[in-house]
Amino acid sequence: MNKLLSANFSRLKKDISFRIGILYMFAIGIIVPLSNFITMKKYGYTISLESGFCLYAFFMAILSSVFCSLFIGTEYNDGTMRNKLIAGHSRTAVYFSFLIVSIAAIFLMCLAYLISSLCTGIPLLGFFSDAAFPIVLGHIGTIFILAVAFTSICTAAAMLCQNKAATATVCILGVFIFLFFGAYIRARLEEPEYDQAYYFETEETSEAESAPPTPNPWYVSGTKRQVYEFLHDFLPGNQAMQLCTLSADNLWKMSFYSILIAAVVTGTGIYVFYRENIN
Amino acid sequence: MDYVLTVNAISKSYKRFQALKNLSMHVPKGAVYGFVGKNGSGKTTLIRLICGLQTPTSGSYALYGTENTEESIQTVRKRIGAVVETPSIYLHMTAEENLKEQYRILGLPSFDGIGEILKLAGLDNTGKKKAKHFSLGMRQRLGIAIALCGNPDFLILDEPANGLDPQGIVEIRELILKLNKERQITFLISSHILDELSRLATHYGFIDNGHIVKEISAADLDRTCRKCLCLEVSDIRAFALAADQMGLEYHILSDTQAEIFSKITITKLILPLSEKGCEVLSIHEREESLESYYMSLIGGKTHE
Repeated sequence: MNKLLSANFSRLKKDISFRIGILYMFAIGIIVPLSNFITMKKYGYTISLESGFCLYAFFMAILSSVFCSLFIGTEYNDGTMRNKLIAGHSRTAVYFSFLIVSIAAIFLMCLAYLISSLCTGIPLLGFFSDAAFPIVLGHIGTIFILAVAFTSICTAAAMLCQNKAATATVCILGVFIFLFFGAYIRARLEEPEYDQAYYFETEETSEAESAPPTPNPWYVSGTKRQVYEFLHDFLPGNQAMQLCTLSADNLWKMSFYSILIAAVVTGTGIYVFYRENIN
Repeated sequence: MDYVLTVNAISKSYKRFQALKNLSMHVPKGAVYGFVGKNGSGKTTLIRLICGLQTPTSGSYALYGTENTEESIQTVRKRIGAVVETPSIYLHMTAEENLKEQYRILGLPSFDGIGEILKLAGLDNTGKKKAKHFSLGMRQRLGIAIALCGNPDFLILDEPANGLDPQGIVEIRELILKLNKERQITFLISSHILDELSRLATHYGFIDNGHIVKEISAADLDRTCRKCLCLEVSDIRAFALAADQMGLEYHILSDTQAEIFSKITITKLILPLSEKGCEVLSIHEREESLESYYMSLIGGKTHE
């Protein structure tokens, strides 16, 4: 597999989608703290470095879908996947070599964000607050593990679909569906159980009267709530939503789920790829 | 005879469609094996199976005596190179970069042989030109150059002349002949351009509807397709005696039928036969080209 890794990393260095991904994340890393700094100056209140710092979880998800579909899709598009198999490499080795290179590429994109964000943010906004620092560190680590899950899913899709355009469509749409689903579940879980009590004055007495709180029809309760809460920690899109707002509580559980997803998807991907008819 | 590739009753099905049906074939070492068949006859499917891109539904094949079911087949595959359908090249890379990438895939320790391969394929002057800007012929030659990395001794080329202009076809032909003669590389070339194949092949395999109709050496095919006079005579012994006396090259087919390959006028042939009491019942001239031979095979005529 070392030969395949050497070949794939060599190609990665020249890959245009990888270069654009690095530049994009680097630019986002500058824009986020800079826009916070501008807002801070304009409205006169303090914004700390941790605010918006983990937004890259969202961009990481999208970039992993774009990168995997283009990088691996090229192998099918140009027919070069055949060269690897004809040269006598096992399908498992071919699959793992692409997975490892894709994960490395996404990690490097995340690092590009972290470096530019810290280099821009620390001088403008100062360092993280003492209370936030361990939370941010935990979130950064979980985002890297989530990147493994997202990349595993996109690698599986790209390895099993031999049409580059179809792969790109499936991966990008799939990630957006994950993210929208994540946003939806989050919104439902944040619904209050009761609508807030409100006060009003009557014209006749001019005295304040209150209406009792009413049950919120959008509130999710019972088993359904338990399922939603599980999905909120389990699904990669939901994890990304929690992580990018620094609001994740169950970092260990989410990391475990990410590793589980990556392992199951990769195992299934290799099983199917092994039986795939390559054209 | 040493065989590089032996295929034993191989079948391949895609859902309800059976692409190959109990196909068997034998590619001798050092041969240029012309794999002839019409579009959709199963040529590319068989090549994909041999290259390990797909697995047979039933049957087996052996490369250098190693069965496809053995684990060591992956090691044996390192001895083959292939261009399947379209050349497998990175379009955004130059010819040299493509070869370097293939060297890395093969795990070759240095890039030393790249210049030689580029020269051999006639791509040594392409410089920084990306493969996407290459002509079809150049891409095909780059595909062959990539297949040549690692010094394989068996090259599989699927329709190498497809879409090429006459000059491109000549270039590919010369390259194949050069590699076969100078490096003793065995070739399996699938094609339906019979005229082109007849200039290269030392052996033929004719495939139709997923199975091999006939395997024949080029020498045997030449013999079969030779221009001759076909005679039906009343006394085959008298015919043989007369033919020997005249020094004719002939071949007796049955008690009443014979073929004469030497040039002779009918008058000069019939008079001596008549003197020996042998009547000529019928006579006709026959000449078969590779194309007509192929058409008669596919049409169902037996040549066993």
